[in-house]
Amino acid sequence: MQVEEPKHIINQLAVLVRTGMIHSTENVAVMKAIDRFIHLMRPYFEESDPLRIDLIGEFFYLNESRVRYPLEYLLNFDYLSREFRRRQLGTVKFSSQVSGADVKEFIKAFIRAGYSNTPFEALEAALEGVDSIQLERLKHVQEEEGIDKRRIVKKTYFNAVSFTKGVMNKLKAGEKVSIKKAKRVVESMVDLILEEEPLLLGMTAIKEYDDYTYHHSVNVSILSIAIGQKIGLHRRALTELGLVALFHDIGKMEIPKEILNKPTAFTEEEWEIVRRHPYWGARTILKLKGLDRAAILGAIVAFEHHMHYDHSGYPKVRELRNIDFYTRIVSIADQYDAMTSSRVYARVPLPPDKALSVMMERAGTQIDPVLFKFFVNMVGVYPVGSLVLLDTKEMGLVYECNPLFADRPRVMIIVDSRGHKIDGYIVDLTEKDESGRYVRTIVKTLDPNKYKINLAEYLL
Amino acid sequence: MVLTEELKGFINTLVKAKKNIRLYPENNPMYQKTLNDVYRHLSDLLHYVDEISLQFKQFEILYDGEVIYRNEDKEESLALFFFKDGVRELTFLRGIPIEEVEDFLRIISTDFERQMVDDDVVTLMWERDFQFIKYVVDDTILVEDETYEEEAVKQVKEAVSDADIMKAYEEAFGLEKTEEVTIVPLTNDDIQSIVQQIEEEEEDRDKSQKLVYLLFEMLTYARGRSEYEEIINLIKEAIRYAVNRGNLETVIYTIKKIETAIKDRTYNEEVNTLLKGVQYFINSNVIISLLGDVLEAGAEFEEEVLEELAELLSKEAIPHMIKVLGELQNISSRKAIIRMLILLGRKDISLLAKGLSDRRWYVVRNIIYIMRQIRDPKGTEYIIPLLRHPDRRVKKEAIIALGELGVSNAVNLLKDALRDGDESVRITAVRAISQLASPLSKKVIMESIKSKDFRERDFQEKKEFFKALARWPDEETIDYFVGLLKKRSFFRRSRLEEMKAAAAYALGIIGCSDALEILNKLRNSKNPLLKENIEFAIARIRDAGGRA
Ligand SMILES: [Fe+2]
Ligand SMILES: [Fe+2]
Repeated sequence: MQVEEPKHIINQLAVLVRTGMIHSTENVAVMKAIDRFIHLMRPYFEESDPLRIDLIGEFFYLNESRVRYPLEYLLNFDYLSREFRRRQLGTVKFSSQVSGADVKEFIKAFIRAGYSNTPFEALEAALEGVDSIQLERLKHVQEEEGIDKRRIVKKTYFNAVSFTKGVMNKLKAGEKVSIKKAKRVVESMVDLILEEEPLLLGMTAIKEYDDYTYHHSVNVSILSIAIGQKIGLHRRALTELGLVALFHDIGKMEIPKEILNKPTAFTEEEWEIVRRHPYWGARTILKLKGLDRAAILGAIVAFEHHMHYDHSGYPKVRELRNIDFYTRIVSIADQYDAMTSSRVYARVPLPPDKALSVMMERAGTQIDPVLFKFFVNMVGVYPVGSLVLLDTKEMGLVYECNPLFADRPRVMIIVDSRGHKIDGYIVDLTEKDESGRYVRTIVKTLDPNKYKINLAEYLL
Repeated sequence: MVLTEELKGFINTLVKAKKNIRLYPENNPMYQKTLNDVYRHLSDLLHYVDEISLQFKQFEILYDGEVIYRNEDKEESLALFFFKDGVRELTFLRGIPIEEVEDFLRIISTDFERQMVDDDVVTLMWERDFQFIKYVVDDTILVEDETYEEEAVKQVKEAVSDADIMKAYEEAFGLEKTEEVTIVPLTNDDIQSIVQQIEEEEEDRDKSQKLVYLLFEMLTYARGRSEYEEIINLIKEAIRYAVNRGNLETVIYTIKKIETAIKDRTYNEEVNTLLKGVQYFINSNVIISLLGDVLEAGAEFEEEVLEELAELLSKEAIPHMIKVLGELQNISSRKAIIRMLILLGRKDISLLAKGLSDRRWYVVRNIIYIMRQIRDPKGTEYIIPLLRHPDRRVKKEAIIALGELGVSNAVNLLKDALRDGDESVRITAVRAISQLASPLSKKVIMESIKSKDFRERDFQEKKEFFKALARWPDEETIDYFVGLLKKRSFFRRSRLEEMKAAAAYALGIIGCSDALEILNKLRNSKNPLLKENIEFAIARIRDAGGRA
């Protein structure tokens, strides 16, 4: 029997739920979908009975291995994971005895549970008589594991910054730099984004140390890889993207430090010099070593990253060509990180959510609108580091975005509802009370920079 | 434990494989044997245990705490090979398929020193994303500055030490309600457009055209001679890079870019001079012979691309192109060069003609063929001497060329060839002369046919000559053919009957109904050749008559 890839099973389950929502479960379309679903599961029973589907964090697992899927399945996967979450459903186990009628029962119960205030209990009760399908409640990722992971994330992050600093200084001194090492550094970031994306994204909110260009380069690399992962680039391409993003501002090392770190606004002459960094960057990268795809992409991205989607930026070019795909990704990451950073071009940093709305206005002109959509879906309405007031009169910092509920991130509470400063604890805004209402909702956002409040203190 | 001994053996197999896989190409039996050895060895081991975890020290490999391999040689040591890139543990899992074993062997046998790779063994394993080989790496080899993290954290904490949380909290209540960014959900169209862009990105693997574009834009921002030169050199490098990857579109794009830039005076004089240097480079032996190498290696190009490039190259490229033509072995790559030379050669026939003195007959023949296609009468003066070329294949090509190019005294030039010692040369010549269709042509052919030794020639040749003469179906010709048919002879009868057969054939081609009478008379000839040609002629004439 032909064993189809796991992604098809998850996708088919999504199709099944969707069809079930539209039609009655007696409908032919639903029946067909059920048949196909069972057909796809069949070969798996030989290896393991029951077949197990888990939702852990953002990902589905089939028999305990993570299911990878192509971009075309993104909407279905997101949909299914949202519907699982709504019902607090974490695991479904199908035994080889499962019949079409059983699956039909499951779908019926699944849909009906969506209207219940205690959806998981409702679902469980409805399936009591069906032995071939077992359910487990959604588990929250354990906190203890988190501490160790955070240590790794921190280490990887600062290592990347320190590495970037080293590269820039070596280049400035005319020394050779190791592309091999650079690749390894980027690969370690790609790994973390595939596994610990929210945490690593959180690190990009930390900005108040050393020279801006070093951590900015790493942040842009991380954000670019995260976009790349969202749009389904494979791991090799992610490294490529992360690498060119890391070097996008390499031309800045030719700008005199006095200008770069100037606390006041630039004069026209100084701007003139600053605007040459894309050209310098492209030159530096092309001189680094022989031509290959990475070097060429790096040069293109370095040269184009301020040009804007509609060519309204700099440098101006003679022949108008589409801005490169990778450049369009990197420049979204670049704009976002630059806008939310202080000490850059003597600008006042914007709070993350404000930066997003400024960018939103530019989508379609300066920014690629479709890629920007992916970006917003990734960072959420309130990106990591946003300072927010909740309807419970609690105040907190956005700690981790939720890719499925863009306006319901995880928040670290720093002031409780009685107005007392507290040591941060984390709440999930998707949490509901018995009556099915959300426990907490964001009502206002503040500028964390104005009050010198920074997530960094809590993250590090 | 027995397994330790077994593992020692396995490591030896691995060490051997590391050498062999590098040494032998995939289709070599040694390659397959090596691969199978490792695979079998590994599978056998994994029969006893679920997984095999090897630990790496600088010069040692350990299993279960026991040293199973030790080698301190910097070049040879398998332990050091993994250790130096940070690998500390390597685990093979049960069920590993042979494909993963093969890719693993290929990775460890990569010649990292000699090949220009920017990857180390960890990167290659990481990219391959093995499902049955896990590894642990120590990333501290990547750490530039051990104290960096600590220092950074200290700075960050200092910067936020005077945070005013309570002030923020108080002011929060006075603020307006935030209007949030509306999340526009992703649609299927969004996803399709991204998928398509990713595909396009995949197709444009080498990116050379974008690179050339970029370099031209960079020229605008370059300042001073040394920066100009640097970018110009990069353009040259880009061209070499593009040709190497079989991307001729980039070369075409570059040539056009240069032409426009010079014409429009886009850059200053200094840059223009340097750009002319790039033009020179593109037409130089370096690039043209690289193109030859790429063709020979089996690259295929669209006809239009080759043609467009040929049009854009300058005459300076002609000698290099001819040189390449002489060196290529592959038929399809030779064809490609010939096609290009047809377009390029027009730009200077005399340069092209230099190839006619090549010592390889096939090059000479190819050049004549190219001149035929070019159809420039200037070519004739170079071709005429080749009528006396020692190789008959060249001679024939020259005859055809002169016939086609339409020189005024072509018939006179070619008539000697009708008496050539080689039959195929004579046939080629008579066809060419006939095609010239001048009154002199007929005269020359007729003379040839009536010459003493003509009868002695093969039937095939007779037929060709008669067919050539049939181009002039006048009284003289027909009388001659009919006369032949009426002729009687007792000596050398078979030669005469060949003449008759050829005449019948020619009359058939002419469609001469007056000849039917005599043809019918001879219809019962016992000579099969004659009979066959008579039948042919009668049928043809009736056919022609029927239609008329
Ligand atoms: Fe920049
Ligand atoms: Fe930047």
